[in-house]
Amino acid sequence: MIWSWIPGNGAMIWHLIWENAYLGVVPALIGLAISLPLGIAAARWRWFYPPVLTAVNVIYGIPGLALFIALIPALGLTDTNVIVALTLFSLCVIVPNVVGGLRAVPEPVRQAATAMGYGAVRRLVQVELPLAIPVIIAGLRVAVVSSISLASVGQLIGVSSLGYLFIDGLQRDFPTEIYVGLAAIILLALACDLVLVGIRRALTPWLRGQRQATRSVLVRALAPAGRP
Amino acid sequence: MITFQHVTKRYPDGTVAVDALDLEVPTGKTMVLVGPSGCGKTTTLRMINRLVEPTEGRILLGGQDVQQVNPAQLRRRIGYVIQQTGLFPHRTVEDNIATVPLLNGWRRAKARARARDLLSLVGLDPALARRYPHQLSGGQQQRVGVARALAADPPVLLMDEPFSAVDPLVRSTLQDELVRLQTELRKTVVLVTHDIEEAIKVGDLVALYRPEGRLAQVDSPQRLLGAPADSYVSDFVGFDRGIRRLSFFRATGLNLRTEPIAGQDSTAAEALGAARRSGEQWILVTGQDRKPRGWVPAGRLESLPGDTPLGGVPADGFGHTFTVDADSLRAALDAAVLSPAGHAVGVDGDGRVVGMLSYDELRAAIQAADSAATADGSGWEPSAPQPEPERAAQ
Amino acid sequence: MSFFSWAWDWITQASNWRGSGSIPQQVLAHLGYSGLPLLIAALIAIPLGVMIGHTGRGAVAVVNVANAWRAIPTLGLLILLAVLLGFSFLTWLLPLVVLAIPPILVNTYEGVAGVDRDVRDAAKGAGMTAWQQVLKVEVPIALPLILVGLRTAAIFMVATATIAAYIGLGGLGRYIIDGLASDQYGPVAGGALLVVILAVLVLAFFALLGRLIVPAALRRQGRAE
Repeated sequence: MIWSWIPGNGAMIWHLIWENAYLGVVPALIGLAISLPLGIAAARWRWFYPPVLTAVNVIYGIPGLALFIALIPALGLTDTNVIVALTLFSLCVIVPNVVGGLRAVPEPVRQAATAMGYGAVRRLVQVELPLAIPVIIAGLRVAVVSSISLASVGQLIGVSSLGYLFIDGLQRDFPTEIYVGLAAIILLALACDLVLVGIRRALTPWLRGQRQATRSVLVRALAPAGRP
Repeated sequence: MITFQHVTKRYPDGTVAVDALDLEVPTGKTMVLVGPSGCGKTTTLRMINRLVEPTEGRILLGGQDVQQVNPAQLRRRIGYVIQQTGLFPHRTVEDNIATVPLLNGWRRAKARARARDLLSLVGLDPALARRYPHQLSGGQQQRVGVARALAADPPVLLMDEPFSAVDPLVRSTLQDELVRLQTELRKTVVLVTHDIEEAIKVGDLVALYRPEGRLAQVDSPQRLLGAPADSYVSDFVGFDRGIRRLSFFRATGLNLRTEPIAGQDSTAAEALGAARRSGEQWILVTGQDRKPRGWVPAGRLESLPGDTPLGGVPADGFGHTFTVDADSLRAALDAAVLSPAGHAVGVDGDGRVVGMLSYDELRAAIQAADSAATADGSGWEPSAPQPEPERAAQ
Repeated sequence: MSFFSWAWDWITQASNWRGSGSIPQQVLAHLGYSGLPLLIAALIAIPLGVMIGHTGRGAVAVVNVANAWRAIPTLGLLILLAVLLGFSFLTWLLPLVVLAIPPILVNTYEGVAGVDRDVRDAAKGAGMTAWQQVLKVEVPIALPLILVGLRTAAIFMVATATIAAYIGLGGLGRYIIDGLASDQYGPVAGGALLVVILAVLVLAFFALLGRLIVPAALRRQGRAE
C-alpha cells in the first residue's frame, strides 16, 4: 500500500468520488419521486400491488451489467444509461417500502383520523405518510448504498466512476489504487447512509428515545433480491 | 338528539348486524349500548358518524338526516373515542387534542391554548402537553383521547369501549371522571361497552342488545335492575341485581341507634350496663374523636374487673362504615355484613360515629326506599316467569 | 437496431452453438460458477443464521453485516483478489462465497428470530430439546424467508459471475467482456440477454421450489405482510 499515491492523485480521486456520488444519489432520489405515487396507489388499491410486486421482483433480478448493456442501443455509453438503470433498481427497493410503511400505520390511528373528519388526501399527507417515513427512508438508504456500489460496474461500459480506480489498478497491477477505490466507495456509501439517518431523525421527533424497531422483518421481507 | 328510525345493517354475505332498530338518544344524557360480542352495538354507534352506512332506515342527528351531510363535516361535529385511543404517535399531546380545531381552521396558538384547557378538564397536568403519546400511561392516553374528542366542543360524544383496555383500578377512575365530566358538560354521549357494570355505573339510559342486533330493553339502570323485561335481560344483568340495585338508594332518613356505644375511656362495667339495657351482645367502642375503633363482645367484658378502661380491651375490627346521607343502602348493607356484630356503623362526613343499624332496621329502610321507587315506576316486579320474546322466523 | 435484435441475431447464429466456448458450454459453466459459491455459502450461512436466530447472540452483528454488504463493490473486490492472488480457483470462489453469505445469513436469522414468541414458548414448554425446537418448529416456519435469502444470493451470484469474467472467469460474462473489448455489440447483447434469461429462470426455480416445500398456510401468511 503506497500512501503517497493518494495526495498525488487527490484531484482525480475527488472528481471520481463526486461522479460516483452523482451516479448513486440521483437515481435513488428519482426512484423515490416515482415510488411515492406508485406506492400510494398500490397501498390504496389492493389489487394493484401484486402485479407491481411481481414486476419489481423480476426487474430486481436482472443483473446490473446486463441492464446497462440492454440500454446501450437506446441511451449509449452515457451517464444517463447508468442513471436510468439504477433508478429502475431503486424503484424496486423503495416501492415495497412505501407500501409497507403505509400499511404499517396502525388501524386505530387511521380510523381515528377518519372519524375526526380528515378527508382521504389530508389523512394521507398529515397522518399516514409522516408515520411511514422511517420505513420509506430505510428503503431509500438501501437504494442509495446499492446504487453507489453498482455505479462502479458502469465503468465496464465506460461510464466514469470510482470503478475507474479498479480497472486502472488491475491494468497497472497496482493494489494501492484498488484499495483506495474500495475505501472511497465504502466511505461514500457510509456517509450517505449517515446523512439519511440524520434526516430520518430530524423528521421523526416522536421516535427519539424509542427503540427503533430495527429495519426488521418488515423491511427485509419487502426488500427484494440484493444487488451486486 | 339522535334518532334511529328503523335502521338495519345487512352485509353482502347476509349477516344482519343491526335489525330494524328504533332508538332515541335524548339530548344531554349518557346512553350506554351494552350487549354480548357481535350484537351490533358497535355497528350502531358507527352509523351515527357514518363510519358504517345503514342498509335501511334513517339516522337523525339534531333532526337532520346524517346521510344528507358531507361525512367529513359531520364528523367534525362529533367526538369519537375508541378503545385503542388512536392517538397520532407523531404529534404531541397538545397537537393531538388540537386536531379538530386545526382542521376547522383555528390558528395554532388558539388551538393549543384550548388543548391545554382541555388537559385540565380531563384531569391531566398541563405539563404533559409537549409529550408524545408513547410517553404516557394507558390511563393518561385515554384521557387525552377524550380531551381530543371534546376539543371542538361537539354536542355529541361517541365512545367505543373506551375503558376496556386499561386495568380495573384505572378503569374505575376513568368511569368516575366521565360521570363528573357529564355533570359539568351535559353532552349527548353514546357509549358502547360489553360490561353491564360499566353501563349501570355511567349510563343515564341503558340499551341492552340481544345477540342478533335487536334491542331487549331500553331503560334507566335502576329499572333495568329492578324490572328486567325478560329472562334474557335478568340473566345478562346478573343474579345479584337486587343488591346492586341498592346502589341507587341513598342511606338517608334512617333511624340510627345510639346504644350501645361507649367511649374508650368508659369502664367495662359501664359498657356492660349499656349493653344489658339495650339487649345487645356487642358494644361499639369509639375513640376520643368519636371515630369508631372496634366492636367488643359483652362476653369478653364479663370476666374483667369492672373498672377496666375499654381502651385496653382488645376489640374486633368493624370492616368499614357508611357515610349517612351520602353513601348508598348497598354500602350500608355491606357494612352490616362485614361487622362482627351484624350492625352497620353510620358516620358523618368527618368519620365520627352517628349511630348504628341492625339488619332488621336496614331491611325496613330498603323496603321504604322500594315503595318510593315503585311510586315513580322503578320498583320491583314480582319474579314470576316472563314470556319469552317472539323469536324472529329463521 | 434494438438490443433484442442484436442479441437474437447473435444467439441464433449456429456457429455459436458449436465448438469450444459455445453457448451451451458457457451456460453450464455460468451455472457452475454461480452454484458452487451458493452451495458453500448456504452451508456456512444457514446453520450460522439458525444458531444466531435461535439464541439471539450476535444478532447486532448480523444487522450490521446486512447494511455493510450492500456497500461492497463487487468489481472492486474481484479485481483486488485478482491482483493479490493472480488468477486462480480461489480468486473468484472466495469473493463470491463471501458475497453470497450476507443475504442468506440475514434472511435465515430473521426467519428464525421472527418465529412467534408464543410458538417458541410452546415448543419449549412441550419438552422439545433445542435441536428439536430448531428442526421441527423454527426452521420450518422460517423456511419462506430462508428461501428468499437463497434466491437473493442466487441472483447475486449469477450477476457477480458475469462481472467476474473481467478477471478472466469463463461463463456468459465472457461474451460480454470480450465483445466490449473488441467492440462487437452482437456477443455483448447476446451474452447479456442469456444472463437475463438465466436470472429469470433462477427466479422461476425458486418460486417453484417455494411452492413445493413451503406449506400453503405459511405461504399465504408471507404474502399477507
